[in-house]
Amino acid sequence: MALFRKKKKKRACVIGLDGVPHSLISRFCEEGVTPALAKILASGSLRKMKVTLPEISSVSWPSFMTGSDPGTHGIFGFIDLRPGTYNMFFPSFRDLKAPALWDKLGMDKKTSVVINQPSTYPARKVEGILISGFVAIDLVKAIYPPSYISKIKAMDYQIDIDTMRSRQDHDFCFSELDRTLAGREKAYQLLWKDLDWDYFELVITGTDRLQHYMWNVLEDPSHANYHRALDYYRKVDALVGKIYERFCDESGHERDGDGFFLLSDHGFCQIKQEVYLNTWLEKEGYITYNKPSPQTVADIAEGTKAFVLDPGRIYINRKGKYPLGAVGEDEARDLIEEIRDKLLRLHFEDETVMENVSLRDEVYSGPFSGEGPDLIATAHHGYDLKGSVAKKVIFGRTDLEGMHTWDDAFFWTAGDAGEHVHITGLSDMILNKVG
Amino acid sequence: MKGFTLWFTGMSGAGKSTIAEKIEEILLERGMKVEVLDGDVVRTNLSKGLGFSKEDRDINIRRIGFVSHILTRNDVVAIAAAISPYREIRDENRKLIGRFVEVHCKCPLDTLKERDVKGLYAKAARGEIKEFTGVSDPYEEPLKPEVIVDTDKESVEESVAKILRTLELMGYIPPSGEEDEYTAEEEEKIKSRLQDLGYI
Repeated sequence: MALFRKKKKKRACVIGLDGVPHSLISRFCEEGVTPALAKILASGSLRKMKVTLPEISSVSWPSFMTGSDPGTHGIFGFIDLRPGTYNMFFPSFRDLKAPALWDKLGMDKKTSVVINQPSTYPARKVEGILISGFVAIDLVKAIYPPSYISKIKAMDYQIDIDTMRSRQDHDFCFSELDRTLAGREKAYQLLWKDLDWDYFELVITGTDRLQHYMWNVLEDPSHANYHRALDYYRKVDALVGKIYERFCDESGHERDGDGFFLLSDHGFCQIKQEVYLNTWLEKEGYITYNKPSPQTVADIAEGTKAFVLDPGRIYINRKGKYPLGAVGEDEARDLIEEIRDKLLRLHFEDETVMENVSLRDEVYSGPFSGEGPDLIATAHHGYDLKGSVAKKVIFGRTDLEGMHTWDDAFFWTAGDAGEHVHITGLSDMILNKVG
Repeated sequence: MKGFTLWFTGMSGAGKSTIAEKIEEILLERGMKVEVLDGDVVRTNLSKGLGFSKEDRDINIRRIGFVSHILTRNDVVAIAAAISPYREIRDENRKLIGRFVEVHCKCPLDTLKERDVKGLYAKAARGEIKEFTGVSDPYEEPLKPEVIVDTDKESVEESVAKILRTLELMGYIPPSGEEDEYTAEEEEKIKSRLQDLGYI
């Protein structure tokens, strides 16, 4: 036996399962679908977790990685408007206004490996390696440092599934899910041993894709694709189990997985109805368009008082802020209350649609809060809020089956997570484990 | 560029003024309007006559906060370097200013006593200075500062780089390197993908 054993590094490993709700992972563990996860989750703290609003990946992941809400990190949705215009743009990683946890680690010369992290495109310099995930397009811009581009490309690594074809063709979707998962596993195998890392993170996004297109399948054992869908979670489970065992092997089993974390960025449920809020605003007289078939909010006409950006972000069309601004500051306060009250009374058949309609200051804090929406609507599970301006009806359905939820994400740590867990609290918890 | 306040807090001798001066130089070189409110200097003018009781310390820090707020509002970078030992008053300033970046200059007391550049720790130990932070008066560490610089472990250059990187990442100062935006082709692909998933 060596007299002096090298002290083991205190490392952290995070596995993100995009969109997997607490309820689903609990069910799969009980039903034996995910035995490796069941074994891991049997000890430590498994918690139902709340996320920031709106509950979409482009906001939730920045909230996770920066430990802050959109008022501080500055990302409020997949789309936003250029200041002083109605022109939409897609916020990118450069629009993130707070350091990610691996930025903080890098400042202390700690090495990170981050694979398939959504909302980090184009990839930027990190101490270690970053492979951007959704909405990354080009692998060349999705990988830092560039020296890894050819290695990652060579392993048939695919950033995402072909969403267009997968939405229509579920057989194809399953093959795409398998292919992307295989690529993630190869990347994990390579990078785990290639770098002497302090922080390792892998996000699996196929779960979110499957749930968007086939949530109904997961709830219907008689469905022809039921077992095939569950098989995908079995494969995810096997990969997570493998990584967990390796982490414990290298960290020392006496630590019982201390430093290992599992989480999702939002929950999921079955869509009952999509709710087109701009159509509701139009019918209530708050919005008019300058053409019969509007395509974007840039097509609103003079006199418009409010508009919605996906999913439930309501903006008052303020004078001085927007080119066709029609609402003064004094009027804005009353208008906000009026819209809030009416929305809370919105019904579909005999059900109220909204769970809550929050004021900006109730949900955001920080220097960029003012760039957020005036009101943020959250609907009861099953009502999927949309900002489309093209719809002529308030309620409708498409071929999408699953929708996001804000209050049913999950988090697991080997240690004590406390009773209430919020996605903005994870970053500090993880940073404390790296030493 | 919009203004912001860079607030250095930490015990006497932890390196606040030294790092603040370096940051000032770099931001001035990058063409920004910068003002430094150094605790030692402020006590000779704006807060002249104030002592070191908790009440006087709070007034001093609120005054620095108020001036920083006005500077920030007028698109100046205000750099405050003062012990600012009480968390509540620092957080009050954070709330007032909004665009507020807290830097904790962290250094163990033993190291500070060894350094003792101004000879103040020795005086405090001899009882010649009453109400001395870290010795006979409390210092409340920030719970969630934007940056922690461990000045006993890092060089001044490393601490400065850490702070500048944070400011870049927060979008308060322009990044030193070029980072690409989306191309038109990428925008089309992103739009299509978001539509496929029902996000827009």
